[in-house]
This record gives sequence, C-alpha cells and structure tokens, in this order.
Amino acid sequence: MDLPAGTRNYNYAEDMAIFRTRTHWFLLIALLIILFTAPLWFGDHWLGIANRIGITIIAVTGLNLLTGYCGQLSIGHAGFMAVGAYTSALLVGKAGLPFIVGLFGAGVVAGLVGILFGIPSLRVKGFYLAISTIAAHFIIIWVIEHWTSLTGPNGIMDVEPASIGGLVIKTPTTEFYLILIITILAIFAAKNIARTRVGRAFVAIRDNDLAAEVMGINIFRYKLTAFFIGCFFAGIAGSLLAHTSRVISPDYFQFKDSILFIGMIIIGGLGTTTGPIFGVIFIRLLDEFVTQLSPALQTAFPNLLPGFTSGIAPMLFGLVIILFLIFEPRGLAHRWQLFKAAYRYWPFSY
Amino acid sequence: MNELLQYVITGLALGVVYALIALGFVVVWKSSGVANLALGQLVLFSSWFAYGMLSQAGLPVWVGIPLVIVFALILGWAIERFTLRPLIAQPILSLIAVTLGLAYFFEGLVGIIWPKSVASLPPLFPQEPVHIGTAVIKQEFLWAAVISLVLFGLLTLFFRYHKMGIAMRAAADDQKAVQACGIPVTKIFSQSWMFACVLAAVGGILVSSIGNISKAPLVETGLQAFSVVILGGLDSFLGAIIAGPIIGLAETLGGGYLTKLTWEGIKEVIPFIIIIIVMFVKPFGLFGEKRIERI
Repeated sequence: MDLPAGTRNYNYAEDMAIFRTRTHWFLLIALLIILFTAPLWFGDHWLGIANRIGITIIAVTGLNLLTGYCGQLSIGHAGFMAVGAYTSALLVGKAGLPFIVGLFGAGVVAGLVGILFGIPSLRVKGFYLAISTIAAHFIIIWVIEHWTSLTGPNGIMDVEPASIGGLVIKTPTTEFYLILIITILAIFAAKNIARTRVGRAFVAIRDNDLAAEVMGINIFRYKLTAFFIGCFFAGIAGSLLAHTSRVISPDYFQFKDSILFIGMIIIGGLGTTTGPIFGVIFIRLLDEFVTQLSPALQTAFPNLLPGFTSGIAPMLFGLVIILFLIFEPRGLAHRWQLFKAAYRYWPFSY
Repeated sequence: MNELLQYVITGLALGVVYALIALGFVVVWKSSGVANLALGQLVLFSSWFAYGMLSQAGLPVWVGIPLVIVFALILGWAIERFTLRPLIAQPILSLIAVTLGLAYFFEGLVGIIWPKSVASLPPLFPQEPVHIGTAVIKQEFLWAAVISLVLFGLLTLFFRYHKMGIAMRAAADDQKAVQACGIPVTKIFSQSWMFACVLAAVGGILVSSIGNISKAPLVETGLQAFSVVILGGLDSFLGAIIAGPIIGLAETLGGGYLTKLTWEGIKEVIPFIIIIIVMFVKPFGLFGEKRIERI
C-alpha cells in the first residue's frame, strides 16, 4: 500500500484497511454522497447510461478476476452474461421465484457453465483457451437462439421487473440504486477476493503456472475457481440487465461485446481493482460521445462516407485498444496511481 | 445418395479454402508467436476491397485481383510495422488483445466504407454447373479448390527451397539462433504477416465468389479457420491442410444431416463444437507439437 508520508501502521487491522487515512474516508464518503444523490441531478438519459455502466462494471470486474488476476483469457464473457440473464428471467418469470433467488441463481448457473468451458484451461492456455472461450460464446448463443421452447422465439419480451421485499424496481431511479449497490458490493468483493489466499493463488498462476504448481498451489482447483467467480459476476450482471431492460434477446450479447470487455480491462488496467471501473466508464462515455457527435458530423460534412455513423464507433474502439496496448499497457489505473503519487509528493517532484 | 456426394464435394472444396486461410494463421504463429484473432476481419476487409475494385471501380479481373493482392501485401506490412512490432516480447495476452483491437478496427472500417450488408462480386469463373456422377456442383467450388491446392503447392515449394522460406522456417524453430546467424527477424515477421494477409485475401475472394460478399458470415469464415488450426495443431502446415477438408466436410455433412435431428443453424456451430471436443480430447491438435515447458 502506498500511503502518504508519515502514516504508519501499528496493527494488522490498520495494515489491511482499504481506506486508511482520514482523507481516504472523506473522499470515499464524498463519492458515495455524489453517487447516491446522482438521480437528483442526472437526467433519465444519463441515468440510463449510468445503469449500463454499472452493469458492465460488474461483468468486467468478474472478467478482470479471471483474466487480469488469474491470466485465463476469456473472450466469451458476453455469452456467460447471456446465461445469467436467461436463467434469472426464467427463474423469476416462469418459476415465480423471488428476484434475489433469480439473481443468485443466475450467478451460480453462469458460474457452472463457466466451469464447464473452463475445463480445457487445465491443459491449455493462451491462444488455445481464447479460442475455446470464443467457441463457448457461439455455442451458448446458438443454444439460446434455438431452445425456443424455453427461451422464446425472439428472446423474452416480458421479463418481470426486479422486486425486493414488496418494493418493485421499475423506474430508472430505483434501478439506479439497485445497480449501484450491487456494483459497490461486487467491487468490494472483488477487491477482497484479490487479496485473500485465493486471489494471491490466481496471481501466482498468472505469473507462472508451472512455478505455482511446484509451490503447491492446486492449479486444477484455482483455475476452475477463477472461472466460477468470473462467470458468477457475469451472471449477476446478466440478471440485472434482464430485469432492468425488461427485454432480452440473443442480440444483447454479441461476440463484439465479449471483445469489448477484454478491451475495457486493457484500457482500465489488467489486474487492478480500479481498472474495470476506469475502462468501462471510458469506453461507455466514448460510445455515448460518438453516438451524440457522429450524426452532427454527418450533417456538417455531407461528403462523409454514408456508413460513417455506424462504423466509426467500432473503429475508434479498436484504435483505442491498440493505442493503449502500445503506449500504456498498464492502463488508466496506472495513470491514476501516478497521479496519486504526484499529488502526495507535491510540491516535491519525488 | 446424390446429396451425399454433393455434400462431400462441396465440403472438401470449402475445407480446402478454409485450410488456405488457416495457413495464414499458422505462418504468423510459427514465425512470431502471435495469435492472429483478426483473421476473419482480414478476410472481410480484403473481400470488400475486392468488391470495391471489381464491382465499384469496374476494373477487369486481371487488373483488379493483382491490385487486391498488392493491397493485402501493404496491409500485412502495415499491421506488423505499426501494431505488432512495438509489442515484441510483450505477454501473449497483449499480443492476442492487439489483434482483437485490429478486428474491431477493420470491422468498423468496412462498415464506414461499405455500409451495405450484402453485395456480390462479378462472376470470376464460368457459371454453368458441373455434373460429377449424380451430383450437380457449382463450378466455383471446384475452381476454389484447384486454386487453393495450387497455392498450397507453391507455398510448400517456397518454404522448402526459397531462401526466405528457409529463413522463415528457421525463425519458427529458434528466433534467437536465427538472429545470431544475421537474419533480420523483424523482416521475417513482417513477411509472415504479408503472407497471412495475401492468403486471407485469396481465401476471401474465393469464398465470396462462391456465395455473396457479406459481413458476419465472412467473419465466421475466419472463425472456421480457427477450428482448422486447432484441429490440425497450431504449428503444423500439414495439420492445417489435412484439418481444413475435415472441417469443411463436417460442416456440410452436419448441416445436411444433423439439422433435422437438432436445431436450425447447427452448421455454424459445428466448427465450435469440434474446437471444444478437440480441447477436451487432444488439445494440441492432430499434428501439433506439444511443448514441454520449463520454469
């Protein structure tokens, strides 16, 4: 932990604290106040974007545990999200179970599917695993598309709104609070998983799996645990997506999204807690910026090519991913660390 | 029974084209250890470029096709020079992710330049179908197979006898030793990418002359090429050449016979199911080399 100069830890609790100094607590509380009052000064449009950002942060946090900490590349995360979304929609809609059960059921089922497709990771890694998760994505989506007796011909059009106790969560504001709370819990859980025994085993496996095995880490167990946890988060995210958008179809979970999730953790910073948050916000805001700006550009410059509006976003995403990999492979989280260090040492340069 | 013959012939022909595209992957993987996940998008981009040259600009075939090849060479050089060279010696995750970035980039670029979703190339080959036994086959399939096989032959000769081909094989074997012998490894990397792009371009033109030029299906052609490399083994030319027709056959036969038993569209996921089965049973493929790692 990098602490301000002069801060010393006198016991283990202090040493393990995430928020250590008074400034930390002050900033945290300020941030929470801003977040929890956000519906007051966000319009519905921005609230919708914030909801999407929150859901994506949950999924990408899971992917970060799997790929960033454990080093198991998964390019099928949108597929696992779809499993969660459909599980939850069916559990709540058809089986009539409460939303909380649907939420956790979604996580568990997505996690189990993740374990199934994660089994090859025990023998292969790198590109082989990437390909098998791509295959997982396409197989999952194909099953969902064609198992119409369960998943409906064009997706599920009338997903029940989420409800906790007697409270039905239907408006953007209540949805925002639901997603915000679960996102905070997810980030907190991920942070703590990453610094426990499990998380450190993940990091050891990422850095060198053979060495980790020699050190006595049960690779079989921990790799599958990583898949389960990563896909559990994706399932939760999928469930929230299903119950807030109220309509799900296979189109919501495209292969492109799986790639974009990888892009998000790279832009944010692999293997950091703040990375997914930065990455998701960056990409989603870029997306929003482009969708707002490109029609204007199209009218301002009529001789632009006709496909400009639809094609510019993916092109920019690709470019941003490539540029980050070349110029800042440690992502925005690293920049944030540098900024914090500079702030602490100010006005001394080192 | 005549369906069977039909499926077998079209499957073999398609499979040979997949193998051709897969070969582009294997060349890059062997020489530089980069897994090119943008294969499908390269196929997409060069097919649409061919459409732009042949249909939109109206160039005759003998000008247009060489232009596409030259363009593919430039594209391969540019990809290697500007995105992969700065990442030499980075972890494999970065190398895979950068090709994913490229994939996104090219898909967007194609969307900007050619917004329509389907188009067709002017006929490159004679149109009348051929009768083989009881089967009626579009002539494009046969031409595609023949062209691919000829290219295989040329490539084999190139890798066996040409100085550059030998250098590329040497680089695949041991990069450091090759560098110590005074062979510029970066040049080999860039050539392997040029190869990959040209093979993707030729494969793309052949596939799109059989059907239409489209968006998603062409990307899937690239994904099918992945199943070819996985089945054949990542670092094996022979594996790609043998696995290609197997995947093609599985696709047409499975599409023909399994659709009634299971759900629609099984054709598209058969390659992926094969990938998963291979991963479980023989993860390094039929002819892949199982590397023994050291700490």
